[in-house]
Amino acid sequence: MTGRLRLRPELLLPLTSLVLTVAAFALVPTYADATVGAFDVYNALQIFARLGPLVLALGLTMIAGEFDLSVVGTYALGGMLTVQAGQDHYAFGVLAAVGAGALVGLVQGCVIAGLRIPSMPVTLATYIALLGLTSALSGGLTKTYTNITVTLWVDQTVMTYFSPRSLITGGLFVLAALVLGITRWGAELRAIGGDRRASRVAGVRVGRLLVGTFVASGVLAGLGGSLLSFSLGSANPDPGVQPLILAAAAALLGGVSLAGGRGSALGLLGGVLSVALLAEVATVTALPGYVTQLFYAALLGVIVIVDAPDLHDTIVRIRTRLRSDRPNAGHAPLSQETP
Amino acid sequence: MNLATAAPESVTRPTPPRRSRSELVVDGFVVAAVVAVVVVGLSTERFATLANARAIITSASLVGIAALGLTLIMIGGSAVSLAISQTVAASGMVFLSAQSLGLVPALALAVVVGTAVTGLQGAVVGYAAANPVVLTIAASFAIAGVATGVTGGVSVSPSARGYDHLNATPGGVALSAYVLVVLTLTVEWVLRRTAFGRSLYMVGENRVAARAAGMPVGRTTTAAWLGAGALFAVTAAFTAAFNAAANVNLGGTLTFDAIAAVLAGGTPISGGRGSALRTLAGALLIAAVSDILLLRGYSTGVQVMVKGLLVAAVVVLVHLRTQERHP
Amino acid sequence: MQQRLTPGQSGPSTRTGVDLVRVEGLTKSYGSTRAVRDASFAIAAGEIHALCGHNGAGKSTVVKMLSGQESPDGGTISIAGEVVDLRSRQVAQRHGVSLVDQELSVVPALTVAENLVLGDVRTPWVAPARRSTARLRSLLDGVGLDHLRLGLPLADLGIGERQLIEVARALGQDARLVILDEPTATLSDVESEYVYASVRKVAAAGCAVLFVSHRLGEVLALCDRVTVMRDGGVVATTPAGELSIDSLIHQMLGEAPALPDRRVRTRENAVIVLDVEALTVPGRVEDFALEGRAGGVYAVAGQLGSGASDVLRAVAGLVPDADLSLRVDGAPARIAGRPGAAARAGIAFVSNDRKAEGLFLDKPISWNLLATRLGALAPRGVVSRRRWTSALARLLELCGLDPERAGHAVGSLSGGNQQKVFVGRCLDREDVRVVVLDEPTRGVDVGGRAAIHRLLRDAADRGVVVLFSSTELEELQDLADVVITMHKGRVVGTHRGDTAGAVLLREMTHGRTEDEVLPAGSMDGRAR
Repeated sequence: MTGRLRLRPELLLPLTSLVLTVAAFALVPTYADATVGAFDVYNALQIFARLGPLVLALGLTMIAGEFDLSVVGTYALGGMLTVQAGQDHYAFGVLAAVGAGALVGLVQGCVIAGLRIPSMPVTLATYIALLGLTSALSGGLTKTYTNITVTLWVDQTVMTYFSPRSLITGGLFVLAALVLGITRWGAELRAIGGDRRASRVAGVRVGRLLVGTFVASGVLAGLGGSLLSFSLGSANPDPGVQPLILAAAAALLGGVSLAGGRGSALGLLGGVLSVALLAEVATVTALPGYVTQLFYAALLGVIVIVDAPDLHDTIVRIRTRLRSDRPNAGHAPLSQETP
Repeated sequence: MNLATAAPESVTRPTPPRRSRSELVVDGFVVAAVVAVVVVGLSTERFATLANARAIITSASLVGIAALGLTLIMIGGSAVSLAISQTVAASGMVFLSAQSLGLVPALALAVVVGTAVTGLQGAVVGYAAANPVVLTIAASFAIAGVATGVTGGVSVSPSARGYDHLNATPGGVALSAYVLVVLTLTVEWVLRRTAFGRSLYMVGENRVAARAAGMPVGRTTTAAWLGAGALFAVTAAFTAAFNAAANVNLGGTLTFDAIAAVLAGGTPISGGRGSALRTLAGALLIAAVSDILLLRGYSTGVQVMVKGLLVAAVVVLVHLRTQERHP
Repeated sequence: MQQRLTPGQSGPSTRTGVDLVRVEGLTKSYGSTRAVRDASFAIAAGEIHALCGHNGAGKSTVVKMLSGQESPDGGTISIAGEVVDLRSRQVAQRHGVSLVDQELSVVPALTVAENLVLGDVRTPWVAPARRSTARLRSLLDGVGLDHLRLGLPLADLGIGERQLIEVARALGQDARLVILDEPTATLSDVESEYVYASVRKVAAAGCAVLFVSHRLGEVLALCDRVTVMRDGGVVATTPAGELSIDSLIHQMLGEAPALPDRRVRTRENAVIVLDVEALTVPGRVEDFALEGRAGGVYAVAGQLGSGASDVLRAVAGLVPDADLSLRVDGAPARIAGRPGAAARAGIAFVSNDRKAEGLFLDKPISWNLLATRLGALAPRGVVSRRRWTSALARLLELCGLDPERAGHAVGSLSGGNQQKVFVGRCLDREDVRVVVLDEPTRGVDVGGRAAIHRLLRDAADRGVVVLFSSTELEELQDLADVVITMHKGRVVGTHRGDTAGAVLLREMTHGRTEDEVLPAGSMDGRAR
């Protein structure tokens, strides 16, 4: 809240990964037979535009201590509704996508907060249902968006590196950062993720906040899908599971913890930029896909092991034992210790 | 007898627990829904035929076997593994490339790979209490990365023809369906009759309590994941045999299909309850409902959507029913 | 060390005499248990009012009703003359009630500043940081934490400082009634002084303060009047100046309970089964030691924050940063932070929270009873029906549970029966040498308590060492051969089990006036 830089995981992690990926990107000519130019930066930012809304949506629910698995489903639905409703005017398409996202978020939020059900199974079921709905709406086919002007506009080069899509996505992050930073919801969101019982006792309106978070998540995912369908000029009913996994990885790299209570919009921005840069580096250097995958695996593996609570206990235990090891007259030598 | 837990041992004939009013309401809902499905099914053309029954069981079998593995993980309190598709892909690739050693050795090798890979994750979850969702995401990347790297992205072709035996259809029903039934009964027996099974249920219900009681939480969890890995490998063998080729996408949407099947059977994601029979029922239910919709001319999209809604409904009902037992 | 102020010195010198908060005929039941019956008292503006009572007296329930977490079944609450219906924490806040909860309710994931304003209904949507910085700094100043940065994550602070932040939060809500529930239980003397100073300041500004505490010394030094509760009802409300620690204890206990006429067994010659030396848990326990002889029942008696529970949990292997030397039957065991190793060494543990850290509520009684002996019942991995059935029958009979209901889920049992299952799990096992119980009859009715005491006595007779903690004087006298009192992490005294309750309570709540600590260790047989 005071804006001072702290060496905490929620800032350290995205900062480190961003620095590393930027370095990897800039130094490509040194270790690979390729160069990086403005176009590659543009491409990286296009990847950012594709993943960004998903990462923000998922990240917000994770900060609150939940997990919205349905974001990819809302994403796909948003894209499909945009193409089908926005043929005459793009605004109808965007509205349909955002409205559907909000509705999905509202229903999920009310069920999860009202019935106090864990979010994972509910959002998983919603994810499956939404994929089905999207496919049903399109008859299983990819639908084309005929308004070429919009398609061209959305992806045109702005200031060499950006496009309206990446700028809008960046704007979403800035908006989220402002809302979380300036309003009381920022701290309250982390509170309900960090210690829900304490938040309730302190007087936080937990139910309303949860519903609001899921609505925001749905709106963001829907909007993201909408923008993507403009860009591609089509809507794919099944984007596969890859976007979800990448979004989760980006969120974790962005300093969000699965246990909740930790994370910020700027951190999430750092996380998704890192992932986008990494993807672009892989493309530019023609890096085999599997190397990137192994890299992600190693990163996430480190995160999860460092976060493991029983591992903490073991470290504390060992530290205590080391500190206390001192000669003790009258005690049996270690060889007689009970295993 | 309540399928939600393994059969409670009784000293004398026990009196069944009283059911609260809400439990009865929820149960009523479930009965009505099942009746509705049956009625709709019977009124659908070609549903009540032997051929159709075979088709349902066959289509449920591959997901079902993987779902059995996931059941062990879920009962033990580790929620889900998001690496199922990739594990199946890797094991399938091993299976096909080792065919020249013979069908059985290749199968054994595939099982070893699946068990080792999944068991390692289980050990980290069991002993270090690492978050299973993140860990399995990382594992899925690692497995896919290694698999792609080793094969250079090229599909693995079988090195011999032995695998084709797995595609047999005795009595018109795929071999995998028989294997599913046998494995279901085996897993159910393990869950009900072994010390490991009982420990697994208790660790899954309350890890903190199990730990405080001095129960071997790490060992139990790891054992469950080892078993799950073996079952994933079996799924891999059948899937690879069916496709006669294996690449990193062999698993397809298996991860979420398996999760849906387990949840649809009424196993709560929080752990401590569930059974192999329930998972079988869940897999069959999803297959049957999809089948009815297909026979009635609905698109794949609608089938998938109904599947999602079905899972959501079961999850909510199971949750409400548990809450009533002891808030 | 706290000074005993002379009568009349505590609190502001002038009391307005106007009752700001009035509680009349408050009643609350949970199921068939009457937690509070007909409680009435009043707090004037500017008054620091203490609420005292032994465990189960109903203090927490009164606090829950006054803070909006529970609704009373009967009676009224009035604030500034107006009868109010405190339906939620937010409504209570709007009526000017702020709370420092007994269980730490600050969020480690947030910063100091964020915790100071968490849940405050007055916080506007858009919360500009700059305007409130000065106010937050003065709040920190008031609790002696002015050296902290507002942006510091709470996770960096110790328990004491976190508690002070929660106090600062409550005091900063400009409330008319500030409720503090055991605010100094985990604080050092110095930290406690800051709390007292802040409370006095807030009272001087006209606020009513309800101060719940079991530390009788601080109660008398700080508060104007003391309301004592017992068994759900109010015993008396007396000005602090007219009370002494002993008279307070008398009010809390009622008639001095008759000393039990059971013979306390002294087992000077029995073999030492459990040998604990130099048990230290940083920040919680300092230098606890015990020689537990076969057949002895040892009790550690201490209130919240005394370290009694930590001692037991450390012996059970649940505290990773515990530093101790432990031997069972002469064999050393490294069990700190390793409950599995403790279990293998022969230590069975019954925690103070059977629902969260003990029983498997969804599982049948049979499963819960036999959970810890599965190895013996399943020689080759498969559960032997014969062994299971016979072990179950034996245990059910031992615990006095109905065999017909062995298949029922434990969650459906009464508290007393649940506890019987929890305790029964540790009994009748060859491999168990020490049974450690943290508050063995918490939430259990009189009948169940007697049954559990009998179980533990019988277990001790068969050679097991029983080590338990309790704050119930009757239980200590009924069950223990030796009572070790603890206060603020240190051992205060060691007594025979038939020591007068008043003596024990005094040491538990007040330590030793001379700050002298008796060496704990083998029972010295001295009754005091």
